Amino acid sequence: MAKSLLIITRQSPWSGPGAREALDIVLAGGAFDLPIGLLFLDDGVFQLAAKQDARALQQKDLSANLQALPMFGVEELFVCADSAAQRGLDPSGLSLEEARALTATEITALIDRYDQVITL
Amino acid sequence: MSTLHVLSHSPFGDDRLTSCLRLIGTDDALLLSGDAVYALQPGSAPFNALDARRLNLFVLDEDARARAIIVPDWAKTIDYPAFVELSINHDKVNSWL
Repeated sequence: MAKSLLIITRQSPWSGPGAREALDIVLAGGAFDLPIGLLFLDDGVFQLAAKQDARALQQKDLSANLQALPMFGVEELFVCADSAAQRGLDPSGLSLEEARALTATEITALIDRYDQVITL
Repeated sequence: MSTLHVLSHSPFGDDRLTSCLRLIGTDDALLLSGDAVYALQPGSAPFNALDARRLNLFVLDEDARARAIIVPDWAKTIDYPAFVELSINHDKVNSWL
C-alpha cells in the first residue's frame, strides 16, 4: 500500500512558479494512482478565485489545470475556510467546486490522517 | 517633496502595507502592483484600511485583471507608461522590496 501524501499549497497564483509546481506534484501523484490530497492555505486560496485572466499577464491559466484534478483521480481537495474568509473569498464561489472548506481543527485532523505532508 | 510608494507583495503575508499606511504623507501616492493588488479584495482587512484612508491610490491594470480584482472607484487603474509618468511626477519612488 502506497503512503498517502498531503500537499499544502500556500502561494498565490501569479507571484512565481510555486503554485504551479505544487499542482504538478499533485497531478503527477494522481497519474500514478497515489493516495494524494491537496489543501489550499493562506494566499494559496487565491488560486481558486473565479474570473482570473491569465492573458492580462501573457501567462498560462492555472485554473484550467486545477479543473483537471478530479480527472487525474485527485478527489481529496480542501480549502482553509479561515484563509478564504480573511481574503474576502466566499468558499462557495470558488472555481473548484469539489474543494471542501475546512476549519483549523479539521485541518489538524486532516494532516494527522496522511502519512506524509509537503507544504510549498 | 512627494514620494510614490510602490507595493508588490501580498498584504496577507507581511506588514508592508500596514507600515506604508502608517508612514505615507499627504502629498504621497501609493501604487499597488503584483500580489499587492490583493489588498483590494472586498471584505478583507486591507481593503477596509484603504477604503478608510482614501489616499492617492493607483493600481496596475493588468495585475488587477489577472487576479480578478475589481478596482473600486476610489482607486485609479494605470498601465506601464502611466507608471513611468507617475514615477517622474514624484520626487522619489520608494519600492517596498
